[in-house]
Amino acid sequence: MNEVIEVNNVSKTYGETKAVSDLDLSIPSGVLCGFLGPNGAGKSTTIRMMMSIIHPDQGNIQVLGTSALEAKDNIGYLPEERGVYRKMRVGTFIQYIANLKGIRGHQLKRDIDSWLDRVELPGVKKKKCEELSKGMQQKVQFIASIIHNPELIILDEPFSGLDPLNTQTIGSIIHELHQEGKTIIFSTHVLQQAEEICDRIVMIDKGHKVIDDDINRVHEAHNPNLIQVEPIDLSADFTSLPDVESQTLTKDGDAIHLKLRADADPVKLIQSIATSAPIKGIEIVKPTLTEIFINKVAETEGHDAANATREQLTHA
Amino acid sequence: MRKVLTVAWREFRDTAMTKAFILGAIVMPVVTIGLFIMVIPLLDSEDEPLTGTIAIQAPSDVSDEIETLMNEAAHPLQEKLDELPDFVTNDPIAQNMLPQATETNLTYERIPLDTEFDRKGIADEGFIAFVSIPDALLSQDGGNNELEIVVQNNLTVDHTDFLTRNTETAIVNTRLKRLGHQPDEMRKLLKRPNAVAMRIQEDGNIETDNEIARTILPIAFMMLLWTAAFTSGNYLLTTTIEEKSNKVIEVLLSAISPMQLLGGKIIGQAGVSAVILCMYGSAAIIGLLTFAMFDVVSITQLILFVIYFIMGYFMIATMMVAVGSAVSELTDAQSLMGPMMILLMIPFFLWPIITDHPHGTVATVTSYIPPLTPFIMIIRTSTATEPIAIGELILTIGVGYLAVIAMVWMSARIFRIGILMQGKPPNLWQLLLWVKRG
Repeated sequence: MNEVIEVNNVSKTYGETKAVSDLDLSIPSGVLCGFLGPNGAGKSTTIRMMMSIIHPDQGNIQVLGTSALEAKDNIGYLPEERGVYRKMRVGTFIQYIANLKGIRGHQLKRDIDSWLDRVELPGVKKKKCEELSKGMQQKVQFIASIIHNPELIILDEPFSGLDPLNTQTIGSIIHELHQEGKTIIFSTHVLQQAEEICDRIVMIDKGHKVIDDDINRVHEAHNPNLIQVEPIDLSADFTSLPDVESQTLTKDGDAIHLKLRADADPVKLIQSIATSAPIKGIEIVKPTLTEIFINKVAETEGHDAANATREQLTHA
Repeated sequence: MRKVLTVAWREFRDTAMTKAFILGAIVMPVVTIGLFIMVIPLLDSEDEPLTGTIAIQAPSDVSDEIETLMNEAAHPLQEKLDELPDFVTNDPIAQNMLPQATETNLTYERIPLDTEFDRKGIADEGFIAFVSIPDALLSQDGGNNELEIVVQNNLTVDHTDFLTRNTETAIVNTRLKRLGHQPDEMRKLLKRPNAVAMRIQEDGNIETDNEIARTILPIAFMMLLWTAAFTSGNYLLTTTIEEKSNKVIEVLLSAISPMQLLGGKIIGQAGVSAVILCMYGSAAIIGLLTFAMFDVVSITQLILFVIYFIMGYFMIATMMVAVGSAVSELTDAQSLMGPMMILLMIPFFLWPIITDHPHGTVATVTSYIPPLTPFIMIIRTSTATEPIAIGELILTIGVGYLAVIAMVWMSARIFRIGILMQGKPPNLWQLLLWVKRG
């Protein structure tokens, strides 16, 4: 698989603050990659460096085999800070950005109409951008970032400020674009969003890369080896089962967590549990990306930092 | 290059093809000039003929003189106007501007000198004015030289002026006559001759020295440069700040490099500047043609004006775009614009010195100091009777365009850093650091 983006030993400092530190990254072609981390982790700075909008203090970045400056026509970019020409008409704005990406002609006008329909903004083409709501402007900007049918799409916090319906609309378009074979990188501090649609994740914290892998492998690597059982009688004892190492009540107290032995087969164990006691529900516990991220922070920076990160992610 | 031109076209279209621009920069000046032309004939036809009876209490010879002048004399300003060049007096627009002789339909009632006249009651007596001239005023030393004229409250300023000036002239005429002179002949004797200075040209020909052209041209050329370059420079400043404050800048930079954006913006606003220049330039040409003065501008002067105009535009544009990229609000730009404006006002302060001494030390030295070069050289080339040496022209053009390259380079470095900066605006020292860092 070709590497679409290669970041080698990149650092960027603003005054006293080190925004990105010795970052190495490889994004293969065709993935839908979540670029994750809390606010201020260095996501936008890294993305801006990928786009050659700002330049790293050290290291180098290759995008589509060259510098982003050379490859700009093949990259779609939705920046974190949304902006449109307030007095410009919607159609003119999208056309202008497409022109800057080297796209012209009648097909472009048809594409603009088609995309406006697709994001449920029919009839706004002749309206001035300032007449649209913030969410509508964001969708217009989203169209402007993909109107030139780029090979690589970089979306910085694409769902920020959107209501659930619009989030779903944009989410499904991102999914479709991925199905078409585009490489998509999107940053978010809402880890749950990435968990739902990404097939690869990169997590960074305080400018350092914490995780960079396929999402399934991330889940496997951080498998807590737990099965959650909801017995009718919470006093039921499962420790006598051969693959169960220990048993604890969940925080809410309405279920039991069974810690499995390292070599245990969860499927066989579930069958044994079901026959050993009457139960309402049973499932293999998968850690959320939030939990994985917090655990990683705890490993590298200690529990205080992890608690601070948990606080930040919870309130995001 | 296509991307640069795309930015340039948007910059031009969104500035020059807007209602605000068309109204402010094109329609308003045209309407103002149109109104001015329309109002001139109206001004002349404002007053009704001066009608009524004037009471005169004066010796009979001066009373006769007043009646004669009031009925026959031209407008008192006519003598001065007659001295104006033919191209002014023959022009149809100018003719409308020149005051014409006041129409009169007057009768006079002479009040005996020994009668006590009730000045306050002139309206009740049916007079429009009362003129009292004591005999002492007609003596050789003129007495205390005080002349009393009482007019009705509703007499217009023009009519009052007409009455007082003719009375004054009548007194002078009477004095001359009493001494045995003919006033008309005396006036002819006292009329100063018009001296026409002829200047030997470089090619040996002798041509009339056009003082008007030498006075008007430098200021006209400099105002053209100032208006056209600063209007578009100001647009450059505001559109750059708008792109920053609207956060659209990052979208643009995802499609083009900062240099392409900068280049496109400067070229686009150059187009706006050219439109303004053409518009005001055309008005100036129409004015020159109207007054048959087109020959006062030589082709060489026009070519030099264009060369220095482009230089001046780029200098102003680079400064404006650098300031625009460094700040997020228009109000923040003021502190950075202050020193720049003071610098660019220097040619205005030096203008009288340079027009008097276009080859003097001040003119020569400031010609080599960018960004003053285009302003000073435009004044010098349009005012100097002795042409500026070719070597000096080439040198100032060279220095000026080298400065343009340096200023584009510096503004590009400031632009690259400033365009993504938010928050507190930098000071001049920080801008210099950006030039170093950029």
